[in-house]
Amino acid sequence: MPRTLTAYFGELEYSDSAVFQFPYGLPGFESERTFLFLQKPQTAPLMFLQSLANAQLCFVLLPILVVDPQYRINLDAEDLEALHLAPGGQPRIGKDILCAAILRAGDGESEPTANLMAPVVVNLKEQIGIQAIQVDCPYSHRHPLVPGKELASCS
Amino acid sequence: MLVMKRRAGESFMIGDGIEIEVLEVTGSRVKLGIVAPESQLIVRKEARITRDENITAARRLDPDAIAALVHRLWR
Repeated sequence: MPRTLTAYFGELEYSDSAVFQFPYGLPGFESERTFLFLQKPQTAPLMFLQSLANAQLCFVLLPILVVDPQYRINLDAEDLEALHLAPGGQPRIGKDILCAAILRAGDGESEPTANLMAPVVVNLKEQIGIQAIQVDCPYSHRHPLVPGKELASCS
Repeated sequence: MLVMKRRAGESFMIGDGIEIEVLEVTGSRVKLGIVAPESQLIVRKEARITRDENITAARRLDPDAIAALVHRLWR
């Protein structure tokens, strides 16, 4: 089994079937094409999108329905094609796709936020992912991550 | 902010080298044509915001910051 260094969990063994392809990378990181999704019991429900090419690069994510149980994804034709999903409909979160929001950790002055405007979307069957920028959407790129009712579903 | 009204088929200039033409207006959507030097990077604003957010989000967190995030979610 191949091994890789990770930003937060030291050296890990992974199977090739756990590798996700991001054919366009992520905005700002266009050359990063292969990632692992990592989840650990001690950091649940956080997810870690770890670059395979760059051990230092790892995004911290939350499943989008943990942030907003009512979240509605709206992928356009280009996104559906990039994800190898059938045109004309929307995939089901958790069934057809994994949908997660990239977190910005807070510091002394700012609260942590989740980017609901541009979620990471992955076709679970084909293990292809993109960051799907939602146009005309009601969601913020800095949705406050406040404890409370919204996050109750994960406790 | 400068505001001007334009119809489909009309255009305006930004500086000497950039021309933006309104090609088509349908409902709430406007189709624009942009003529600009190749050196000018043109991106949708959402893409720029997403890039900037990603760059901030990619900064390495120390273990305490991760623990604080988890704590916040479970509190």
